[in-house]
Amino acid sequence: MAAPLVLVVLVAVTVRAVLYRSSLAAFISERVEVASPLNAWKRVVEGLALLDLGVSPYSGAIFHETPLIIYLFHFLIEYAELVFMITDVLTAVALYLAIQDFNKVVFKKQKLLIELDKYAPDVAELIRTPMEMHYIPLKVALFYLLNPYTVMSCVAKSTCAINNTVIAFFILATIKGSAFLSAVFLALATYQSLYPLTLFAPALLYLLQRQFIPIKLKSKSFWLYTMQYAALYLCSLVVIICLSFFLLNSWDFIPSVYGFILSVPDLTPNIGLFWYFFAEMFEHFSLFFVCVFQINVFFYTIPLAIKLKEHPVFFMFIQIAIISIFKSYPTVGDIALYMAFLPVWSHLYRFLRNIFILSCVLIVCSLLFPVLWHLWIYAGSANSNFYYAITLTFNIGQILLISDYFYAFLRREYYLTHGLHLTRQDGTEAMLVLK
Amino acid sequence: VCTSRFWFNYRHVANTLSVYRSVKRLGIPDSHIVLMLADDMACNPRNPKPATVFSHKNMELNVYGDDVEVDYRSYEVTVENFLRVLTGRIPPSTPRSKRLLSDDRSNILIYMTGHGGNGFLKFQDSEEITNVELADAFEQMWQKRRYNELLFIIDTCQGASMYERFYSPNIMALASSQVGEDSLSHQPDLGIGVHLMDRYTFYVLEFLEEIHPASQTNMNDLFQVCPKSLCVSTPGHRTDLFQRDPQNVLITDFFGSVRKVEITTETISLDSDLAGFESKLPKDELATEPQKYAEQLPVAQIIHQKPKQKDWHPPGGFILGLWALIIMVFFKTYGIKHMKHVF
Repeated sequence: MAAPLVLVVLVAVTVRAVLYRSSLAAFISERVEVASPLNAWKRVVEGLALLDLGVSPYSGAIFHETPLIIYLFHFLIEYAELVFMITDVLTAVALYLAIQDFNKVVFKKQKLLIELDKYAPDVAELIRTPMEMHYIPLKVALFYLLNPYTVMSCVAKSTCAINNTVIAFFILATIKGSAFLSAVFLALATYQSLYPLTLFAPALLYLLQRQFIPIKLKSKSFWLYTMQYAALYLCSLVVIICLSFFLLNSWDFIPSVYGFILSVPDLTPNIGLFWYFFAEMFEHFSLFFVCVFQINVFFYTIPLAIKLKEHPVFFMFIQIAIISIFKSYPTVGDIALYMAFLPVWSHLYRFLRNIFILSCVLIVCSLLFPVLWHLWIYAGSANSNFYYAITLTFNIGQILLISDYFYAFLRREYYLTHGLHLTRQDGTEAMLVLK
Repeated sequence: VCTSRFWFNYRHVANTLSVYRSVKRLGIPDSHIVLMLADDMACNPRNPKPATVFSHKNMELNVYGDDVEVDYRSYEVTVENFLRVLTGRIPPSTPRSKRLLSDDRSNILIYMTGHGGNGFLKFQDSEEITNVELADAFEQMWQKRRYNELLFIIDTCQGASMYERFYSPNIMALASSQVGEDSLSHQPDLGIGVHLMDRYTFYVLEFLEEIHPASQTNMNDLFQVCPKSLCVSTPGHRTDLFQRDPQNVLITDFFGSVRKVEITTETISLDSDLAGFESKLPKDELATEPQKYAEQLPVAQIIHQKPKQKDWHPPGGFILGLWALIIMVFFKTYGIKHMKHVF
């Protein structure tokens, strides 16, 4: 499988190199859908320039990257394009290896459940075979590398790509079973943008499953392992934050990075839902609603953990999707990461109900973003409501996508254990409903 | 100033141009005349004699020609422009010919004709100037020292109402009719089809024809021009603001430019005056060397060069700590036993 992957990587690198040389690069870097105040390349350059002038880059509200990014780009700023191409390639390779291992795990688990007679007799068509799963890792790498969102994010040199790489390595480490590495990469991801904190739960669930520790609240081994993992994670986080202190000898980066992510002071339009709401709100209520919106991101972890405790990788996928929809400054790079996972669940195709409408909504909204931006900002014949409407529609499409996959996944699981032909008490055909 | 337009107001243009001619004949150059006309008579499609404006019937005298310099023509003849010319509040881009460049030794003659009423004068059939505005404009001129003495002549219906409100000193005013009376036109020309002149101006011009630069005729004679029997309306005048006795005011004080010239027959040498003037300069001012440009501008002091900032580098402790951590993670993951392969 290495050769097709290399081919895909070459094609992706060529596409990116061509776009870097063309005039589209400047245009794409300016798009608000691709570059947010958190990860725009212009701000990285500005921060490094401020540093050269002897001023802390965190003075003023321009630079919101972590000190490790400063360190990374201090030496690599001339090779920025190469760096971003390499990060994309690394992400794709990491996802490829992770999904390869995951497929082995899935197949092993399926085999175990069949031998244990856990499946109903008539679900032969739902059983997955290694043949059909053979090309899934390649498809995942392909989906990530050649996704227009990823290409745009790379051409704009948005540091979201670096965040994606760290999360991909975290997923690889988790699926490989190394708690230590998984904790380290999760700490790095949380350190850069706050929201991967919620990925702690699916990673923990997966590692527990891998160690064959049952998830019972009374079980001592469960709590022991949880404590170990949490300790690893928190210690790495603390170590990284303390190390960042020594870069500039100041704690300035904490309000600039985490304070900025949590309190959302910059209301530049993006594809998220925060900006319009807070632009219209009175000062009096803004603290309350900031808290509500931020809790909304973290809130789904516990219910999903309870429902999906048998399927932690699917939980991880849903969690990444929720982060990229509800985070304070989403960009298309975040969307690209969870869309890369869609081939892993391609066996759910027969249960997905909204494929056509979803694809239409997502494609049309993606195309309408620049149009309505132009109409609003340049032509002056539209206003912010138009752009907000498209943002809203786009996010509704994404939420529909998640809930569709969720429903399809759970439905398949139900059919596996209860049989394909469900009947009600009076003998007529029954329909599964997601309540 | 002729404040009317359209063909049937031919006589007002002819009035103004005739007074213009007389004034030029008596020595005032174009640079000292501001002529405001609608200027739509000579080239009017209804003019049977194009490029001419006649002031007398039987086409005896063409008052339009090559040397008529109209300063404000057509739509530029507005109340605003007129008042701006009087008071001197004109935009800096106005050419000299359109400015009234008078000072406190200037005698100014203002002649206005057109359609008027009790207290107002109609400009170009669209706006009016009131007698109060005019009086205030003259007061501004007095306060800005823009005239020495001012003679104001107006030939409109109820013209006397226009000088009722003057309150500035040294103004003498004449009008063709009293309040309640109309000024009448003089004679129509059946060849051209309109009245060619107004009565009052016609008789004033007859009077002016006898004036030459050396004549000693005074203002009292001008007041007698056009009695009621000839003019049908009663001409009026106002001299209470004027400091001199009208008996002693020459017509040529206003209508002509009479210079007092003394011709000498002997030469006058001016050299001795200059020598005396030069010695008055202080000595030290003359003895300086010409300054060179570079010395005048000390460039090094003007452009203060900041010392070049050293590029920022991450501190050694940070780099050490980071790479120690990375190596620790590496070996924790892959085991210590691989160390010998690394080294």
